Amino acid sequence: MSTVLHGLVGQLGQVGLDYSFLFDAYASSKLLEGALTTVWLCLFSMVGSLLVGMVLAAALTSGRYWLAWPARAFVEVTRNTPTLVQLYCAFLVLNMLINQSLGNANPMTPFAWVVLVISLHKGAFHAEALRAGIEAVPAVTLEAASSLALSRRQQLLQVQLPLALRFALPALVNNLIDLVKMTAVASAIAVNDITYASIMIWTQGDNVIELMILILAFYGLLSFGVNCMGRVLEARLRMPGYGH
Amino acid sequence: MTLFTVARRGLFVSVLATATLAASGLAQADATLDKIEQRHRLAVGVVLSGGPFGAIDPATREPIGFSVDLARDLARQLGVAVDLVAVQPANRVQFLQQGKVDLLIANMEWTPERDKLLGHVPTPFYRVGGTAALAKDSPIKTWAELKGQPVCTSQGSSYTQALVDLGADLKAFKTSAESLLALRGNSCVAAVHDATLINPLLAKGGEWSGYRALAPELNPAPSVIWTRRGESDTQQRLDPFVKQWHRSGWLIEREQANHITPASPALVELRAKLQGEGA
Repeated sequence: MSTVLHGLVGQLGQVGLDYSFLFDAYASSKLLEGALTTVWLCLFSMVGSLLVGMVLAAALTSGRYWLAWPARAFVEVTRNTPTLVQLYCAFLVLNMLINQSLGNANPMTPFAWVVLVISLHKGAFHAEALRAGIEAVPAVTLEAASSLALSRRQQLLQVQLPLALRFALPALVNNLIDLVKMTAVASAIAVNDITYASIMIWTQGDNVIELMILILAFYGLLSFGVNCMGRVLEARLRMPGYGH
Repeated sequence: MTLFTVARRGLFVSVLATATLAASGLAQADATLDKIEQRHRLAVGVVLSGGPFGAIDPATREPIGFSVDLARDLARQLGVAVDLVAVQPANRVQFLQQGKVDLLIANMEWTPERDKLLGHVPTPFYRVGGTAALAKDSPIKTWAELKGQPVCTSQGSSYTQALVDLGADLKAFKTSAESLLALRGNSCVAAVHDATLINPLLAKGGEWSGYRALAPELNPAPSVIWTRRGESDTQQRLDPFVKQWHRSGWLIEREQANHITPASPALVELRAKLQGEGA
């Protein structure tokens, strides 16, 4: 492994890209730690955003005014403001207010704020994708379900959502790929993700280009992985004779 | 000697003369000095993040501050117009290396690491060290006590290495503004920045009245005007201007005019030293 890496760095050195910082214990451990943090950020906020999306979509399509209206307001506000601004607002303003009232008992870490903000932000997009899916479920299917004496909740969980998920899956995967790239905002509030680790290394040295290429490749691979998972899921959930 | 050889010799001489002229032309000025003189413009990267060194005047929307005064005076002495380019600590080196600016007067102190990447005008124009803003009731009294504690700073700060060496748990935000906000939100026990940024804030009181500064200064280092590496002609051209700033007391006057407190002893030292050397 190490000889392969040395060989690769040697090759890149010949085209003028100096990756020798990868052998520096401090820089490489920083980068590895950053890469791992980015992966955790992605996993937590993926799960979080899907949960938020599900709840919001349920509220949006509930047909109850007092549920649908606040959900609609939340989706509009969240979708129409930049993630970075939301993160600053949450971490620099809300966090300060929580600190002032709770003192040191504040349970929110910067990492948790990033997961929360991305989950809520992407959750709003998921909700719209799921709503499209839910509304695409034919009315006759629902009539059939209610004729079987399924309650409203059973209809949603056992008929509507499974079908809606299949309709919405391509849009959801699209959102999740965007989510992977969105985790880079964590660097703005000093969460040690891979972008932050790279900034910290390149502000001390002269390797912006090398690090840029490295993190582009890393995010590219991560997004590609999500894309592949989405494809597998689509194939898995495919219903013969239904839409395909 | 035939006419032909005479002509050839003449040609040879003239080629030689042209070559020498061209060579001396090259030696006259490096790329940056040439560019400045051709365009009659000097592009200077300055940090305008607020404070006495560089800020935007809320009334006129014009850049003001110590760095801005220096940049304007350099352009005046070179007889060219000045383009002030706002840069940030995290991107200023790239702005200089990519040629978007000719010089950096951007709160950027001399460090051995930066000296490997860039060149600079030999005479420093200021000396700045870091200080930490801490809550008044914080138990921390020395730099060593920051070990293992969350410490806020900005990305690209001059004190990153020193703080890493101290063993602090470093949290570097995009700019000093966010770092200071994070300190007030208790996300870290101290915010470490240039003393010239922290001291005026604490002196102002108000929302900062609950905070104090940590002495002595961390890694005091000379502030220099940065150029790209190897541009010795630009550096040699600008060095007399900086020396004259010290001798005439202009820098001390600008320091007072921009309300930089406490006044830097380095300016007084450098003035005495350069006046001793004589003009």
